[in-house]
Amino acid sequence: MPAYGPEPEANAGRRPGLLAVTFVILALSVSYLPATAQQRIAWGVRVTVLRPFLATQERLTAARTNARDVEELMGQVDSMTVFLSTQAAMSDENRALRELLDLSERAGPTFLPATVLRAGTAGSESMFLVPVGTAQGVYVGAPVVTRDGLVGVIREVQREISRGMDWTHPDFTASAMLQDGTMFGLVDNRRGAFRELDRLVLDGTAFNEEAAPGTWVLTSGLGGYPRGIPVGVIDSVEETQGQWRKSYWLRPMVEPGQVTHVLIATRGAGDDIAALWETAALTASDVAPTSTSMEFRDSVQVPDSVQGAGGRRR
Amino acid sequence: MKSDARVWFVVAVLATTHLLLHVGFGIGRAAPDLLTVALLLGARELGMGRAAGLGLFFGLLEDALTVLSFGANSVAMTIVAALGAVTRDLFVGDSTLFLVSYFVIGKWTRDLVHWVMVGESLRQPFFDQVVVQGLTGGAYAAVVGLVLLEVTGLRQEAAA
Repeated sequence: MPAYGPEPEANAGRRPGLLAVTFVILALSVSYLPATAQQRIAWGVRVTVLRPFLATQERLTAARTNARDVEELMGQVDSMTVFLSTQAAMSDENRALRELLDLSERAGPTFLPATVLRAGTAGSESMFLVPVGTAQGVYVGAPVVTRDGLVGVIREVQREISRGMDWTHPDFTASAMLQDGTMFGLVDNRRGAFRELDRLVLDGTAFNEEAAPGTWVLTSGLGGYPRGIPVGVIDSVEETQGQWRKSYWLRPMVEPGQVTHVLIATRGAGDDIAALWETAALTASDVAPTSTSMEFRDSVQVPDSVQGAGGRRR
Repeated sequence: MKSDARVWFVVAVLATTHLLLHVGFGIGRAAPDLLTVALLLGARELGMGRAAGLGLFFGLLEDALTVLSFGANSVAMTIVAALGAVTRDLFVGDSTLFLVSYFVIGKWTRDLVHWVMVGESLRQPFFDQVVVQGLTGGAYAAVVGLVLLEVTGLRQEAAA
């Protein structure tokens, strides 16, 4: 570092000090600007200076996914070849069930597929960007889902890009109910010592109602989210207050850190989308994390009720 | 290449590399905080006012990817840049001890100010974020900064 060079002329006098104080005040005032002004500034920086870097991340994510898809497809081709050579009838059924369980195909055009981009900088935890916006029909408050359940919600929408938060964000809440509709409450999160230890809690449930471990918890349709999106599974009682209220730990359906692709609901998705997940057909042992669900799908050990559903559709 | 031009070239490359690693590749904390290293290098070349301006610009780059703590990085980087520029008047020399202290304290101060500004609801415990992660990140930044100064020849040039 050339520390011995001549002192910068700008260091002389009071002017640099005043300038520095001005910049510090400017930086402080940025923190207290209205949210809309902050968003405008952030947006300006993102579409100019940061644009190439965000585009790089998008391309890299797509490339990684393509590489993984090729491996997965090769594996599937090999498996299918063996399968076809031995059990042609089972193979046909296998294909039909895969289609049945593929959420994006079931969801149809009212759900937009998108790649999740994460900034990885300080303060951007629990937030993500998706390269779809108002031009594609995305709106503020649109639920972001995967085949396993709810990931989060869209918070800010621009023409070609949107920003969302996942359920680990401190602001996340969702009105929820048990799968059978017998108990309603509010799902929020509890921060763990590490981000991986963040957990979901079903809060505000009546004391005299009991939720059995393993019961699915879905969005109730109140407060913004469409009805029927899986959020988590009852794990254990978190807290009991007096004789009037209980809260439960949930095992989340989705681990946000592992999510690379999502579906985003548009306005045409409807108020009740429970049918997309076939929740009644799945048991708690098939729940979350994503990898488990992938194994579940790939092993094609589908419960009888789903096989029945597959048979009906065919 | 003149030394000034070389310093600013290094600063620009560091800032670009930081954004590429953190935003483009999404590496996260595994990658060093090159933006702070770049700021600390650049601040020694500028007066306090301009250094603060550079810090504000770098801070806004990071704040553009945050929501609830918007402005925390701007304040942290602005203050660190201004203090970095002041060290030029207070300390002369580029001994290893000075440079290690400069980078470690600079990065740690940046993390401390960010922790203060980010707000109670979002920040992690002080010991985890400021003491452990701040000092580890400071050491990481110091190693990277020293290696860069050696590789680019900026340190030998100053000593000569």
